[in-house]
Amino acid sequence: MNISEQKIREITIEVLKEFGEDISPEKLREEVYNRIQRQIEKPSMTQNSMDSGRVIITSYGINKPGVVSKISTILAQNNCDIQDITQKILQEFFTMIMIVDISSSPLSFKELHDLLARAAEEMNIKIMVQHEDVFRTMHRI
Amino acid sequence: MPYEFEEILETIRMTQVEHFDIRTVTLGINLRDCADRDVNVISQKIYDKITRIARNHVKIAQEIEQRFGIAIANKRIAVTPVSIPFDNLKKDEFIKIAETLDRAAEAVGVDYIGGFGALVQKGFTNGEKELILAIPEALAKTKRVCSSVNVASTKAGINMDAINLMSHQIKETARLTAKDGSIGCAKLVVFCNVPEDNPFVAGAFHGVSEAEASINVGISGPGVVLQAIREAGRVDLGQLSEIIKKTAFKITRAGELIGRKVAELLGVEFGIVDISLAPTPAEGDSVADILEAMGLESVGAPGTTAALALLNDSVKKGGLMASSYVGGLSGAFIPVSEDAGMIRAVQKGHLSLEKLEAMTCVCSVGLDMIAVPGDTPEETIAGIIADECAIGVINDKTTAVRIIPAFGKKVGDMVEYGGLLGSAPIMPVRNISSKEFVLRGGRIPAPVRSLTN
Repeated sequence: MNISEQKIREITIEVLKEFGEDISPEKLREEVYNRIQRQIEKPSMTQNSMDSGRVIITSYGINKPGVVSKISTILAQNNCDIQDITQKILQEFFTMIMIVDISSSPLSFKELHDLLARAAEEMNIKIMVQHEDVFRTMHRI
Repeated sequence: MPYEFEEILETIRMTQVEHFDIRTVTLGINLRDCADRDVNVISQKIYDKITRIARNHVKIAQEIEQRFGIAIANKRIAVTPVSIPFDNLKKDEFIKIAETLDRAAEAVGVDYIGGFGALVQKGFTNGEKELILAIPEALAKTKRVCSSVNVASTKAGINMDAINLMSHQIKETARLTAKDGSIGCAKLVVFCNVPEDNPFVAGAFHGVSEAEASINVGISGPGVVLQAIREAGRVDLGQLSEIIKKTAFKITRAGELIGRKVAELLGVEFGIVDISLAPTPAEGDSVADILEAMGLESVGAPGTTAALALLNDSVKKGGLMASSYVGGLSGAFIPVSEDAGMIRAVQKGHLSLEKLEAMTCVCSVGLDMIAVPGDTPEETIAGIIADECAIGVINDKTTAVRIIPAFGKKVGDMVEYGGLLGSAPIMPVRNISSKEFVLRGGRIPAPVRSLTN
């Protein structure tokens, strides 16, 4: 991430306000440097940087009781809103696709992803979580 | 539901079964502000700049990978051709720069860094000559550094002196890296009409007209195209083109999305999507297989060039519609060692160097990852490069040669590189001399085609 001069100026002013005008130049330099580092390091992946807060969860595998319930319980517990759901079963093989709004969930994308990956392992099925944008760009003009 | 069941499954099938991935997300970094008299100062500046801008490159790419469920096979870096900002350096100092690039690449976790190169289509500056002299040792001493030298262009003609020098350096690189199957040559490309925003190594560099830093994306999906063609069954060639276009459209859209997100998070400019079909040695991820699925018994059969032209053109047309910024090489790659189908065709004797040369007239690059006997004379290599340059100059297209005169190997041997570089069968080269022609030297004038004003 690039930090503009404007941003550096803002950070400096912020530090001056916090520490007062009589801060030593060394301390000021150190404090500004640390804050810039933090800005750079912060992987600025927030919900807002994506176009929508919706993900598509696709699960498939051998059908067994409780699959839908397990997945939807995880989603419900984490304040994820299932907006649409469709399922097909071919003999004992099932495929389920959910459109889920995770924008008000306390979990980050990665946390949800990992949680579902663990659940998938327990149930011996596959669960894929992908941001909606990839489907929109590939299939809608 | 806003998406059809089948649409969602199609995307998942592409990524999970058919090897659709983003082949490379390449971060281009300008090094022109790293100039100094002292090579140690330059090295420090280069190292600091690359590690500062690229420190989160791999991490962010991985985040995006997970978010969209599409693998990004390679995260790479391209820098300004180092002969440009550091024209004052000497051979040994350039080797030091290569080592710095290698260290910086390692520090940020990328496997290859491109840009140890020069643009000498019209002539050499002192620094450019020193850099070219440094190439063999630089490639032998480093693991991650890739080098490319542009020796011809439609506007400038063909610099035969540069070709002769490069042929010598290719042989020298092969000798210095003999114990690893002359792998140094796999990191060295000679170009004609080189694009400045190509994200694919070994030819990637950050052109002089580029921004301070930018992200260029190379997509890849031979497996997806192959599957679409197989599913289509027996349709005519017009319909076949349509099917390829639609597939290329979808994968390019995904590529652009991913490139833009990575660029946004890194806080650098988004450059281009390179809509190339880049094969890998994995089964089913082969351009040769596509040509065979079109109906050829084997790559190399008469009709191969036509089939490749159809494929290449359709990929471009589909990709163009999908992205606002298309650039780089954009077309089908036909490397030998990186494509299981190509290797098969060479081993069976179906595919010769001459047929490959014909195919390069209509594909995106040129003779790529071709291993030839270690005792191939350097003048013969110069002849091969000159031929490729002529094709590029006259047709106003990019061509390139990445040839490996594998030290100590003979026709019929194999060189194993592993990973994406695959394994290369040694191909026969005609044993007739080009010496008296190439050693005339000088510059072949720019063609009539260059006078477009």
